[in-house]
Amino acid sequence: MDDAVSAVDGVVGRECGTCGTVAGPADRFCEHCGADLPTDGRATSSGVAVPADPAPPEGPDTATAPMLAPARRQPPRPPCRECGGAVDSDGYCTQCGAKAPSERDHFAVAPAPGVAAVSDRGLRHHRNEDAAAVLADGAGRAALVVCDGVSTSVSSDVASLAAARAAADVLGTGSVGLAEGSARIAALGVRVTQAAAAAAAAVAAATPDDDAESPPSCTFVAAAVQDPVVVVGVVGDSRAYWLPDVGEPLLLTIDDSVAGQQIAAGRPRAEAEAGPQAHAITRWLGVDSPDQTPRLTPLEVDGPGWLLLCSDGLWNYCSEPAALGEVAAGALGGAGGDPLTAASALVDWANDQGGHDNITVVLARLGGATGATGTTGMASVAGTASAEGTDQR
Amino acid sequence: MTEFSAAVYQNEYLAGGSTDVHAIVTVECRGAGQAGQTSAGDAGEIVIVDTSASMGWPGVRAAQAAAAAALDQVIDGTWFSLIAGTHQARLVFPFDGGPMGMAQMSPQTRSLARQAIGYLAPDGGTAMGTWLELAARVVQSVPSVTQAHAILLTDGKNQHETPAELDQRMARAAGHIQVDCRGVGSSWEVGELRRIAQTLMGSVDLIPRPDQMAAEFATLMRQAMSRGVASADLRVWVPQGAQVLFVRQVAPSVEDLSARRREVNALTGAYPTGSWGDESRDYHVAVRLPASRAVGQEQLAARVQLAVGDQVVTQGLVKALWSDDSSLTARINPEVAHYTGQTELAEAIQDGLAARAAGDDRTATAKLGRAAQLAAETGNEEVTSKLRKVVDIEEPATGKVRLRKNVDKLDEMALDTTSTKTSRVRK
Ligand SMILES: [Zn+2]
Ligand SMILES: [Zn+2]
Repeated sequence: MDDAVSAVDGVVGRECGTCGTVAGPADRFCEHCGADLPTDGRATSSGVAVPADPAPPEGPDTATAPMLAPARRQPPRPPCRECGGAVDSDGYCTQCGAKAPSERDHFAVAPAPGVAAVSDRGLRHHRNEDAAAVLADGAGRAALVVCDGVSTSVSSDVASLAAARAAADVLGTGSVGLAEGSARIAALGVRVTQAAAAAAAAVAAATPDDDAESPPSCTFVAAAVQDPVVVVGVVGDSRAYWLPDVGEPLLLTIDDSVAGQQIAAGRPRAEAEAGPQAHAITRWLGVDSPDQTPRLTPLEVDGPGWLLLCSDGLWNYCSEPAALGEVAAGALGGAGGDPLTAASALVDWANDQGGHDNITVVLARLGGATGATGTTGMASVAGTASAEGTDQR
Repeated sequence: MTEFSAAVYQNEYLAGGSTDVHAIVTVECRGAGQAGQTSAGDAGEIVIVDTSASMGWPGVRAAQAAAAAALDQVIDGTWFSLIAGTHQARLVFPFDGGPMGMAQMSPQTRSLARQAIGYLAPDGGTAMGTWLELAARVVQSVPSVTQAHAILLTDGKNQHETPAELDQRMARAAGHIQVDCRGVGSSWEVGELRRIAQTLMGSVDLIPRPDQMAAEFATLMRQAMSRGVASADLRVWVPQGAQVLFVRQVAPSVEDLSARRREVNALTGAYPTGSWGDESRDYHVAVRLPASRAVGQEQLAARVQLAVGDQVVTQGLVKALWSDDSSLTARINPEVAHYTGQTELAEAIQDGLAARAAGDDRTATAKLGRAAQLAAETGNEEVTSKLRKVVDIEEPATGKVRLRKNVDKLDEMALDTTSTKTSRVRK
């Protein structure tokens, strides 16, 4: 899957995505244009610290240009998310001045028809510590991962992205062959467990040697999809929902949180989630985590519907399956069934509710196909699309 | 190779609900080269000397020496002319009456111009508008001249035309020529010459004695010859719905540019800044954004650019970042504070001197006291020393001053002309 993952190099490279200026390894902002630089997971795992502080408030922002210099090559940028105006090479809208989000702060991908992911910084946090990685072959197989960085740690944004990528790599490798029914479920379950282990290893690799106080950590929710079978695994409070076209929406995961434990013990959801420390998570991926084994939930769907994975940035505003189902149905209806448009609409909706946290939404269409039973890995299947952090808006 | 750079100094953090953004943008030019040598087009230089009767023979002889000293600094190949000003304007050189009102500098024309200078004699009154009008016409007679500059010398008030006539004639010259204005002695009016200098994007200063004119003229012409960038505009882009509160040059001198605005497009205004040599200038830009955003949100408040022709050669970004951390939002940027103080200082001096001239000693004491306080706070030594000749400063910290009884007119004028010259921020 290395080739597929290399699609993210444009995101994590040390070249300014806005103006192309080469940045120093520890720089967080472009020297030339002041744009946010992408956070580089590789640089951090090899020991280069990523400073946590935002830009120095009062330093000079210097730009020099020779008088007769040719115009700088400008990669095409998506239009302004707020007003639709063109975004300048300096990273701001030419009409309303809104700061265009960096690829790390906002990305939207659709690796194959029927599968999409959107991740967004939200309105209140300074950076996006959520991450998503999705792979799909367009023939019923998909690897879906959402990780939500725990913000008490300095480099959780790096850890969550590394974890999601590592997990998707594992989920996307190999094949369950001709296995059917419970054998297929068992094989996919093993894959999800292996994916969580790889994600945990990636978080550990992204942990600086000297960071014993608050090592980076993140949640983990992943789905190994081989339509019509899905196995979902979870560590922490990111979630998976099954939203059938006909029938009741279903929450597939139990939160590893104080509230989640109370709900599992029978306390009403609304009451439990309003309690003190309700959102404190009890399990996570990180070197300080006592238990990183995913809790698995298998599902064999019996009709068409949408599998939705999300971080708490979405479900905090619509926790009950019915509530989330209603919001998602509205988004999907408005999008004419296009998952990328619908996932973006769900992110916008969460921002309209306050955008208090990072928001990540993954949607995958299930139950429509007969189920692919190819014998090769996803990466070598013709027409495989995989992308991560590549904005396709 | 001419290079421009821009640096922005501001506190970009705004408290929730705030919409006003202030920034100091420093624009620096390096490698400007010489006038008429590096830009497309030629340079033109005009020396305008007052030869009114009040100059008398000693004054005219000093003016002759000054004009000669200025022309000595003009590089060969530069277009030039010499105008004698009274209640009307007279082209003294070139004197052949051809279609071109200027000659190209060469050993021959230099020597002919010297001879022409020798014929200047005191006679008549003063109508500076006519001088400027002729200067602009002379410049336009040579189409290749794209960078025109003049030194204007006077010794008196503009008595032979109305202020309205002066305004009309100035307006005809504006945009065609930049004019540095110098007043010799104490019989001219600082406010009047300042108005001309501001309209025609030049400086104004006092030459106390006639024998100091030659050195001043040589310096001015050397400076003019070192301005290799014929003209540049400061461009300010603001977001849709935002309002530019003001655009002000604050160093090396205070100059409100707001009224010079020319629209580039709906969101961008251009403010002419004249010609540039190797130098740096500071601008204070204030913008009111259409709305406050949520805490944590960032947006651009202004793009401040320098444009030479249609080419943007440098850009500084003024940002707004809303925060609920009052330790960030309450901070006052030292550059913004310094230049806000310097601008108030200039106003306090000018208002104080005007009140003093009108016999309103109370206002004069209050204004000049505030000036003394601001000059001390911002470390403007030059202003403080000139203030001391007009008022006794008893407590610089509180601005307690007493008006002095016998003030030399020249000292008062020196304080007035110095008022707009700013000190840089102490780093
Ligand atoms: Zn850049
Ligand atoms: Zn916009």
